Amino acid sequence: MSSMREIRPLSLLCELTYRCNLQCPYCYNPLSLQSYREELATREWCEILSQAAALGVVQAHFSGGEPTLRRDLATLVNAASRAGLYTNLITQGTFLEEALLDRLIESGLDHVQISIQAPHAVPGDRIAGAVVHDKKVAALRRVRERDVALTLNCVLHRGNHDAIGDVIAFAEEHGVERLELANVQFYGWAYRNRSALMPSLAQVQRAEAIVAAARERLRGKMEIAYVLPDYFGEFPKPCMNGWGSTFMTVTPNGEVLPCPAASAIRGLRFENVRERSLREIWNDSPSFTRYRGTGWMPEPCRSCDRREVDWGGCRCQAFLLAGDAGLTDPVCSLSPNHQIVVSLRDAVESTELVARRA
Amino acid sequence: MNAQDRPKFGKGVKLHRGSDGRVMLLVPEGALVLNRVATVALELVDGERTIAEIAHAVVEQFEVEPERARGDLDVLFDRLTERGFVRRVPAAP
Ligand SMILES: C[S@@+](CC[C@H](N)C(=O)[O-])C[C@H]1O[C@@H](n2cnc3c(N)ncnc32)[C@H](O)[C@@H]1O
Ligand code: SF4
Ligand code: SF4
Repeated sequence: MSSMREIRPLSLLCELTYRCNLQCPYCYNPLSLQSYREELATREWCEILSQAAALGVVQAHFSGGEPTLRRDLATLVNAASRAGLYTNLITQGTFLEEALLDRLIESGLDHVQISIQAPHAVPGDRIAGAVVHDKKVAALRRVRERDVALTLNCVLHRGNHDAIGDVIAFAEEHGVERLELANVQFYGWAYRNRSALMPSLAQVQRAEAIVAAARERLRGKMEIAYVLPDYFGEFPKPCMNGWGSTFMTVTPNGEVLPCPAASAIRGLRFENVRERSLREIWNDSPSFTRYRGTGWMPEPCRSCDRREVDWGGCRCQAFLLAGDAGLTDPVCSLSPNHQIVVSLRDAVESTELVARRA
Repeated sequence: MNAQDRPKFGKGVKLHRGSDGRVMLLVPEGALVLNRVATVALELVDGERTIAEIAHAVVEQFEVEPERARGDLDVLFDRLTERGFVRRVPAAP
């Protein structure tokens, strides 16, 4: 027997569908959605959820695309809940009517995360590509009135970064207890639109001061998670807490990914739950084992003190920016490819946004 | 928290005991792995029992000094309260 602690997933992201009625240009969903049309059936998802629980997963996140477009959402929440999983719905809220919300809560939903594009309909509806801001506000209120936890999420980018103080005020006004201010991460559509979405250094610095003051003022009332912008740190984030260490994502058509952005990595083949069990895929598929731990690392990571702190950063980012998922994340200031990130960060001039489409 | 406060879990917070006996506190954006003292204490959180009662149970089970147990529990409950995972129900007047 190996003396090493067994590595087991804790968290399963169920991307139920990539369909969506909105068109956020910052969406991290893949650009080409054609191959995801053959969505898993209800019973396939139920099987995945029970396999996940048996594998040690404790939390199921239902996302997409827009997960409320799946008519069987309540059935899936119920299957997860009965398997003993904590259930989290990640939604933009436009379909969260009373009847659906009540059904989800009866089915055992523990937590809802609702995203807004901006604190007001202008420019929120323009970013979303539809008139939906007021519907979201109504959904927030409905969730607040019920016995289910709520997080408000807002993705920050150059077009709304200056409104960060208003986002916090909006959250306070709506009695939100947890606010996630997520700087845009550059995958999928966001990667495509990165030069228009990239905040300026001045915006990022101003935001940090505003968040610090708000945290102080709202201590014990509202928790504010502020996800640092990708390209601005000295060292990368511990992406996924290390590849294949705690997270699994299942795409709408059943592919199992170590990270929701991993489909961008060309040359890495992902296995499908329609062909192998979740346990086999987790334990020994080449896609999961390839970058697990520290054995795969090149220099400068291999001999770096931070190698078990940030795990060499993000594999998808290394692929997208430097062309090889097996390199140090170029976001790291020690990476020989760091100049790529510096020049992207400094090239904040393009303003043309391409709306997401199916 | 005061000795007579009765803590209860916030919305969307629950204890999970895995098949391997590992106990975690599941919260909206993650899972906190609990040590043995925290496990015993949090299993008693129900909005009815007081901090004093919970501390008493910890002292009984682990044979630690009451002072020390209270100190550890204060740290634990302060942290969880600050993040909204535990709420205090003030002592009945
Ligand atoms: C892809 S969305 C799917 C759920 C739902 N359609 C929504 O937008 O809320 C999942 C979450 O990621 C956030 N998100 C989307 N694109 C992002 C990006 N490029 N970087 C960071 N967060 C992003 C959304 O705001 C949402 O909270
Ligand atoms: S981020 Fe926007 S476009 Fe992407 S799935 Fe969510 S609501 Fe739809
Ligand atoms: S060299 Fe690698 S391990 Fe060291 S800080 Fe950079 S990314 Fe992290």
